[in-house]
Amino acid sequence: MPLSLLVEHLLNAAVLSGLLFLVSVGLSLIFGILRVVNFAHGVFYMLGAYLGVTAVVWSGNFWVSLVVAPPLVGALGAGLELLTLRHIYRRPPIYQLLLTFGAALIMEESIKVLWGPTARAAEPPPVLSGSVGLLGATYPSYRLFLIAMSVAVGVALLLFLARTRAGLVLRAVAQNSEMAGCLGADVRLVRTLAFGGACALAGFGGVMAAPMTTAYLGMGIGVIVDCFVVVVIGGLGSIGGSMIGSLIVGAAQTWGGYYLPETAMAIMYVVMGAVLLFRPWGLFGQEE
Amino acid sequence: MKLSRRDLLKALSVTGVGAALGVPAYLRHAWAADPIKIGLPTALSGSVAQYGIQAKRACELFGKEINAKGGIIGRPVEFIYEDTGGDPATAVRKAQKLVEKDGVKFLTGTVLSSEALAVSAKCPEWKVLLISSINGVGTLTTKFFHRYFFRVNTSGPMGVRAATLYLAESPMKRFYGFGSDYAWGRDSVGAFEKQIAAVKKEIIGRDFAPLGTKDFASYISKIKQAKPDGVMVVLAGQDSTIFVKQAAQFGLTKETKLVMEILELENMKAVGDPMIGIIGSSRYPFTVDTPKNRDFVKRFYDHHKVYPDMFDGETYEALEWLAQVITKAKSDDVEHVIEAWEDSEYEGLEGKFFMRKCDHQAVQPGFMVEAVKDPKYPHLIPKILATYPGDRVTPKCLTEEF
Repeated sequence: MPLSLLVEHLLNAAVLSGLLFLVSVGLSLIFGILRVVNFAHGVFYMLGAYLGVTAVVWSGNFWVSLVVAPPLVGALGAGLELLTLRHIYRRPPIYQLLLTFGAALIMEESIKVLWGPTARAAEPPPVLSGSVGLLGATYPSYRLFLIAMSVAVGVALLLFLARTRAGLVLRAVAQNSEMAGCLGADVRLVRTLAFGGACALAGFGGVMAAPMTTAYLGMGIGVIVDCFVVVVIGGLGSIGGSMIGSLIVGAAQTWGGYYLPETAMAIMYVVMGAVLLFRPWGLFGQEE
Repeated sequence: MKLSRRDLLKALSVTGVGAALGVPAYLRHAWAADPIKIGLPTALSGSVAQYGIQAKRACELFGKEINAKGGIIGRPVEFIYEDTGGDPATAVRKAQKLVEKDGVKFLTGTVLSSEALAVSAKCPEWKVLLISSINGVGTLTTKFFHRYFFRVNTSGPMGVRAATLYLAESPMKRFYGFGSDYAWGRDSVGAFEKQIAAVKKEIIGRDFAPLGTKDFASYISKIKQAKPDGVMVVLAGQDSTIFVKQAAQFGLTKETKLVMEILELENMKAVGDPMIGIIGSSRYPFTVDTPKNRDFVKRFYDHHKVYPDMFDGETYEALEWLAQVITKAKSDDVEHVIEAWEDSEYEGLEGKFFMRKCDHQAVQPGFMVEAVKDPKYPHLIPKILATYPGDRVTPKCLTEEF
């Protein structure tokens, strides 16, 4: 294999893995802390993309959209938790599944009404619109930026959870919410903030994805399916698991698409099936 | 007596139903003859919506003009649009609604070849015409041909033929075929492979991406690795725009020549300068220099404030030709219209058209164009590199052979 192809292979897989990580890590965090599987998570990613495109149109500046859109998505997510999910934690998990699934459908249709049925394109910022020569391969600079950003987010998250007091509280709630509550942590607030934060991450992923893939209807469903595979492989509730899971799925999709285009999708599910058979709690998850 | 809420609702609903059903129909009878209804089960949303929008634009202009002249055989023309979202099953459902509920006898504007194949299959049963102004797949006028289908537009194999005739003269030797993974993409890549082999050039690879693909990175890597002289690209709508953008970002457009099966204005507007120098065939380039087309472009621009794209022109021609044959048949009876249309001539925007009786494919000139910058226009335009007469680009009857 020529070096330039190897470089392209690695980078292509890294780009996709990066996007998957930004969404799946939130999915995983929400499950770890709230014990809810958030079906609406993909739609928050889509919402981020659309808000990002609109912010670029209004401000004429990509960087503004990158700062403005994710908090908006996060606020909406926190609102959803506050108004609906909060009231049904004690019910069986099927209620939470139905609720987030319903929320996903409502949001998807609302986006269709608000932005119209046609995909919306966004341009990468001028600094990143060109391409870079890397070991004989020509690679778009925006994609390199996307890889760098997802790595940065991953590192920041790990540091936040391991080194800060807020991270400590989050981990405590995830491990045993009742005990954490007894020790003075405001569990309800932690849950709302965690849900909102995870949605903001998905929105961030959406803003990042739009200049590459455009913002289109159905991008939420597409990404959530892949992300479920990621968290099943990596293990729900584990950030490291999301990282490794994203890398495996990203690599399976891009390299599968290259060498075995007819079976690219199947490869991903074969890996997932193998994990489910031999380690049902995921590579990094904890056996319960 | 106090009017109860229920009585009020009853009264409202009765008058409401009356208004919805009786009154407008009665009024319509009062001021005009029954309209000739043309139904468009067309994609107005989804990744190929741009073509449905083009078909609709052509209908709006044509409807305005023909109705100002008193309609066809003294009857006004009415268009009914139904959004299919680019899905064959929905297209059939919407077409059925148009035929059974609205009483439409003429269908046009189907966007995807897969939709056209599905709708066309039902037309003999419904006894209505499907008039293609967009659909490329060869089989519509070969394997699945029947007398209720007419194709006014250049077909995929015809577009590929124009491209091959042009490439035969070029120094390029090794080609790659890249298409959308559905009827049209597979058909046109197949036609290209056959035709390019006939002129002693080589096909070194082929690939198909699912309709609606948003990231072409691994396909682009693969094409780069094969190092072809040229790539035959058979993609539609947004797929095509996104592919060309990404191909430019990855430097593919510098390493090889992209040859588009359809090189459209929509792509040129969306992609911009990286598109300069890309060549392809065109079903209808608005830059074609005939008196009739110059006048059409002006009227179209005045009405819509944009220049007509491929399927604006092709759909307008389909409508104008249909009006011509209804006038000739002096009736909108489907059987009479078919007879009047077969072996008839029409002065199209790009030149002479002839509707073959044997497979209902319109014989018409083929074009090879290049995306170029012209300060007179706000976007890139298709510059005509070569024009091929109808008998060179139209396949033999009921075949894809030339």
